[in-house]
Amino acid sequence: MDWIDHLRPLVALLYLAVSALFIAGMLGRRAGLKRAASILAAAGFSLHTLGIIARVAAEGGAALSHMPFYLSLLSWALLLTFFIVRRAMHMEFLALTAAPLALILFLASLAFTAKVVLPTALVGPFFALHIGSLFASIALLTMAFGAGAWFINLEKRIKTKEKLSGFQQDMPSLSALDAANHWAVVLGFPLYTLGLLAGFVWGWFTWGRTLQWNFLTIAPVAIWLCYAYLFHQRLAAGWRGRKPAALAMFVFVLCLVMLGMNFLLPTHHSVTP
Amino acid sequence: MPHETDIYLIGLNHKTAGVEVRETFALAACNTMELGLVTDAGPVREALTLSTCNRVEMLAVVDRSEDAAERLMAFWAKHCEGDLERLRPHVYVHQGLDAVRHLFSVAASLDSLVVGEPQILGQLKEAYRDAVEHGSARVIVNRLLHKAFSVAKRVRTETGIASSAVSISYAAVELAKKIFGDMRDYTAMLIGAGEMAELAAAHLVNSGIREILVANRTFERAEELARRFKGRPIVFEELFRRLPEVDIIISSTGAPTAVIRARDVKPVLKQRKNRPMFFIDIAVPRDVDPDVNALDNVYLYDIDDLKEVVEENLAQRREEAVKAEAIIEAETGRFGEWLDSLALTPTIKDLLAKGEDVACRELEKTLKRLGPDTPEETRKALEFLVSSMVRKLYHEPITFLRRRAMEEGVSRKYIDLARRMFNLDEEAAPEDAHAERRSNVVPLGRTAAGGNGTGDNGEDAACGHTE
Repeated sequence: MDWIDHLRPLVALLYLAVSALFIAGMLGRRAGLKRAASILAAAGFSLHTLGIIARVAAEGGAALSHMPFYLSLLSWALLLTFFIVRRAMHMEFLALTAAPLALILFLASLAFTAKVVLPTALVGPFFALHIGSLFASIALLTMAFGAGAWFINLEKRIKTKEKLSGFQQDMPSLSALDAANHWAVVLGFPLYTLGLLAGFVWGWFTWGRTLQWNFLTIAPVAIWLCYAYLFHQRLAAGWRGRKPAALAMFVFVLCLVMLGMNFLLPTHHSVTP
Repeated sequence: MPHETDIYLIGLNHKTAGVEVRETFALAACNTMELGLVTDAGPVREALTLSTCNRVEMLAVVDRSEDAAERLMAFWAKHCEGDLERLRPHVYVHQGLDAVRHLFSVAASLDSLVVGEPQILGQLKEAYRDAVEHGSARVIVNRLLHKAFSVAKRVRTETGIASSAVSISYAAVELAKKIFGDMRDYTAMLIGAGEMAELAAAHLVNSGIREILVANRTFERAEELARRFKGRPIVFEELFRRLPEVDIIISSTGAPTAVIRARDVKPVLKQRKNRPMFFIDIAVPRDVDPDVNALDNVYLYDIDDLKEVVEENLAQRREEAVKAEAIIEAETGRFGEWLDSLALTPTIKDLLAKGEDVACRELEKTLKRLGPDTPEETRKALEFLVSSMVRKLYHEPITFLRRRAMEEGVSRKYIDLARRMFNLDEEAAPEDAHAERRSNVVPLGRTAAGGNGTGDNGEDAACGHTE
């Protein structure tokens, strides 16, 4: 599968161009650059999809034994979520968060080579659920992070009566940003919960145990508690605006730290050999 | 031979004359044909009058003479039954390209009280429409006004002169959009009534707000306003009970102390499950306690905050005006070139040159097709053929133009027609000035407030217009 190997640097290059063009287009308020970024993003994403399909088709289950494959998958899920959110909520500016993060994850997938323990056929569905729903919830949290960061900035400007200049005028309204946070939490939390539970079930069947009392297993649970608090406050206590935006950003940063540590430290999620 | 004519623009505006003078010398519904100012025999051959509450101007194409401006001014004073000597010190006179430049500046709203406001263009189109209907707009005024409209459009699209709100009420609505986005799902409440509050309400309705509630100490007044905005009147005492329903509150009561305090808003927020609220306080003294702004999901702007926004936007417009002036200068130059071309000789030259140009291009194509081996003789014969065809084809139109040029008053009409027919000025057809009639969903007092938020700035509130 040589051609897949050749495809990867091209996808990385495309994602790099997409990130640069989106940032330049947004900050410089140049519609042409943003359009170009969108076209390149679609091209990169299509090639990326093709690469994933070809890999799974060629290697079958063995493809799943490469840990870096999951980094590539997460990068792909992030962009897919961005495309959906952009279409549904007209939030193009989320590219500022989604594109660079997708690029970093994709580059990381090229840099590492580790293998993982594969599930037995019996727990295959749990494994898929674990990966699918966790990645979707992380992608949604990324969107919530972007929307939350901008919400806090814009709200501060409106509260303190500062003028909105340049590209700030193109950003969505506070209500739209809050709605993005709402959906990210309302959809993201159940997905995260599902992903976590599926992971435990898979772990139970694979290693005969679910929780190990070390930081790297406790961390996802701690994040779940924060996420649950946010979910509760948002839905039951009627939190809106700045507080849920800040908390969602905090949960996202925790997730990022957890992912980084999981992938880099010697755990069953590690990407290093 | 026809007389030499020149363009004159005489007028007065908010900078040169007070409101009493502007009122006395207004030229509304002035049919210059019927009044005998414009005649086929001259000296005034074309005219257009523009009369708004900040500006009265008369544009005319007049046979060149020492007293052309004086003649126009005398007509003006007489028509308004005013004293010429009272009018004279307030009037500015522009001649030739100065008049063109001034008209372009007016159309592009650079000469307006609020630079960049959009109404003046509509008013100028109205004035032009009248002149066309009266038959006092002919070759030069037609061309000049069409050009003025396209210059105004260029300025609007190429500079940021009209991009930000420069009226308090519109700035408030722009801010509301930054908070709520699409206004269709939101409700506003008007507490008290005043010109600015009404304008803000009208802007809200125009941006699609779902409903407006009107609370006033006098219920009849509330009913009247509610009728105007297709809203719902409520009795003043019900105000706090209704607060949870509304997202935007525009307050302008004459109350001596704050009507709404933070402690009143807190329970409302709870009932609203923290859905955001935007308070626009345009009353002096203020109706809404400033502490309200400290609450989460509550935003409060008072009149000073809004004034600051407007000031910043105005400063930005003044910067953009410099860019606009460059556009106007270039367009004035081009109009001057067209004016010069209206003489007979340059038109004949242009006509022949255009014909020869087409012939040469076609000849080249034919020679290319015939290949490099075409004998020199054939080449020369073909060259002779095309150039003599051009001369023969254009002979009749040129003779026709020469004959018309001998007749009084029609020369320019035919020369202009020929230039347009053969597209000698190489330009696209001018846009239709009659097509764009401004219309608004809600009447904003006596004026139709524009989409970019002018119309209620303090200075010009007295007249209800910015132009």
